[in-house]
Amino acid sequence: MHTRSAMLLAVALALPGAGAVAQMSRATLVKQSDIIFIGTVTQVGAVAAPEVPASPRTVVVRIDNVLEKPAAVALAPGDSVTVETVQPGSLKPGIQATFYTTGWIFGRGVAVREVGHEPGRSPVVVADQQAAVARARLEVNDADLKAHIQRAAMVVAGRVEQVRPAELTAAPTRPKRITEHDPQWQEAIIQVQDGIKGAHAGEQVVVRFPGSRDVAWVGAPRFSAGQEGTFLLHKDSTTGSPNAKIAGREVPAYTALHKVDVLSKQDAMRVRTLIKKP
Amino acid sequence: MRARVIAVALAPLVACNEPDRQVSQPPSKLPSVRVVDLIPASLSGETWQDAEPFLALYDSNPKLMAASAFTPNPGGSTSATAPIFVTNDGGDSWTLRNTLPSEGLTADITHAVGGGPPVLYAGILKVPGVPLNELKTNDFLSPATMTLQASRADIDQPFVRTAQVASADHVYVGLNDFDAPDGRTATVDVSLDGGATYTSRRIETRGTAGQNGPSIRPALARDRTVYVAYFGWRSNAGSDVASDVVVVRDDHGATGATSFKDLVDPSDHLPGRLVATHVTIPWSNAPTLGQERIGSTLSLAVNPRHSDTVYLAWADRVGNGDIYTVHVRRSGDRGATWTGDLRTVTNATDASLAVAANGTVGLLYQQLTGAADASRWVTQLEQSRDGFATHQDVVLATVPATTPAFQFLPYLGDYNGLLSRGPVFLGIFSANNTPDSTNFPQGVVYQRRVDFATHRLLDGSGAGGGAAVAVSIDPFFFSVPVLP
Repeated sequence: MHTRSAMLLAVALALPGAGAVAQMSRATLVKQSDIIFIGTVTQVGAVAAPEVPASPRTVVVRIDNVLEKPAAVALAPGDSVTVETVQPGSLKPGIQATFYTTGWIFGRGVAVREVGHEPGRSPVVVADQQAAVARARLEVNDADLKAHIQRAAMVVAGRVEQVRPAELTAAPTRPKRITEHDPQWQEAIIQVQDGIKGAHAGEQVVVRFPGSRDVAWVGAPRFSAGQEGTFLLHKDSTTGSPNAKIAGREVPAYTALHKVDVLSKQDAMRVRTLIKKP
Repeated sequence: MRARVIAVALAPLVACNEPDRQVSQPPSKLPSVRVVDLIPASLSGETWQDAEPFLALYDSNPKLMAASAFTPNPGGSTSATAPIFVTNDGGDSWTLRNTLPSEGLTADITHAVGGGPPVLYAGILKVPGVPLNELKTNDFLSPATMTLQASRADIDQPFVRTAQVASADHVYVGLNDFDAPDGRTATVDVSLDGGATYTSRRIETRGTAGQNGPSIRPALARDRTVYVAYFGWRSNAGSDVASDVVVVRDDHGATGATSFKDLVDPSDHLPGRLVATHVTIPWSNAPTLGQERIGSTLSLAVNPRHSDTVYLAWADRVGNGDIYTVHVRRSGDRGATWTGDLRTVTNATDASLAVAANGTVGLLYQQLTGAADASRWVTQLEQSRDGFATHQDVVLATVPATTPAFQFLPYLGDYNGLLSRGPVFLGIFSANNTPDSTNFPQGVVYQRRVDFATHRLLDGSGAGGGAAVAVSIDPFFFSVPVLP
């Protein structure tokens, strides 16, 4: 989980510094990064932990402030990290910057790969940078959600009326296999309360989801009776059985397999806003 | 055949796990045993269920090893890669590198080293969609993503073993191939050219209940003898599968046009020795043995220097009130004849066998003991030089079985890993990571931040070690000296 806050849209920045990176918007940097921090370069061509290979591209950076990181990662102000830079020689000792990075090697210390950096006026104004990164993250999240909405065949706000084992109406192309990765398909019958895209209030739709607790499906949303939410639904191209039945009537079946496909009921307004947004 | 358990004069740790002769002895510490939690200090906040661990090592370089588990990329589920652990100091410290082409984590992974360090081969079920990916890297210490050599869908439990023959790496990937004809799904993908090309060898020769069980386990000897064990599923009633336990053999490294035909059963003269017939496999993809699922425990190990001797372990339901029972048998004549049970362990899973260079056999397993809130997972390595008439037992971990609650299945793993190198057994298991010395009778080394005094995991976020972190399942590397 990342440390983020919801703010306004990010502003594209022209970054001084290294080549192509200089033209990236902050949102682009944020989108490609999972560890973002403000830090000061202390050594060049060096590493902060022995398990990381030193090279002309590695620099040691002392963390001044952590802006985003996964919860599992131990990173705090005062720690030193190894940064593999995009371009050797782009950073000198004493430079303070906001580093946009991805995890590289996790050992006694953290080593990251630079996606880009924003050289800061020293001292960097931490609050401003935190807000800017948060705005950029919101922009990235909104863009991702908008893309998901555009790919969805149907977007509804509604309530799960029933969960049942999937009734796969098409004949399987081969015998059912017994495997621990079997999704054990279930069907949720959703009563549409608000048809945001491709549906009308009052409709019922069938959404298939894996009931299996196997590791292969660990990230897939599950449904339970009484659950309310905003659902991004995709025509079922996964189970091999594109249709389902409601009260003996054949209807298209849908899936919602990505975590973004299941949002809170309150997110319906955000979804509508994104649909209208050019 | 029931093993007679006596005290081993040289071994201070002897415990009996036969149901009718339980001997309760407090575990004590054996010199030179190492147990190391693989989660590095920089991931001290980690709370994932790092189940189903596996280990790969070199004979030629004891410093280098690779390990894996269902450990996610710390960057999250949107990451394009999943990690492996590597060590270059013989297992004292481990680092995590995101080098597997799978989104966030894998849905199955095993691996084995190539002949020249630091080559590594891996078989994974890739997320999403869980297709098989057969992978290679010429340097597993490199942060570069492993190279895809072959891929296809409808595969389960790839299990990788390797051998170096002349200058070429031979790669054997046992797997359950649902696209195999006639429901004879037990398959070994064989590469004789370092993974550049693979040929799928079907090893089931009898009728099945539509498929074989998921575990297909190759074992290699230095003289190029390759054994493979699999479950010959014959019928099923509800969740119980009636299965044969079958071993095939190839005396020439599976290099011929036909392969794995060198061991036939006297009952029907078909390839594949029926070591046990019509055992009951309780197939359960839900918490059944504690919080663990069961149904695919199978392990095979050959004496690397004397390929006549091969050991087999599997788990089934005996029906005497057990949930799941591990059996161990041995053949001393290249699989032609087999002993009865040399060893049985009730309510255990994740049996892994290895045979050391001096012929000592190691049996790693995880046994559920006690009941309800008092239940524990006991991870144990047994060694024997006399067919388990006597055995030295080392308790590596004894941890609460009810915490943490499972996040997914498997809870600990459908398998773990045991290997040998010279005078030492090296292995890996997953367990509750509470930093409590009484849970690890041989001692334990954590890389992540912990406070043994308060039995707390810490996130390493600041002075004093940081904030408390929830207990989770971690992978633990271990090494135990081989019985002389």
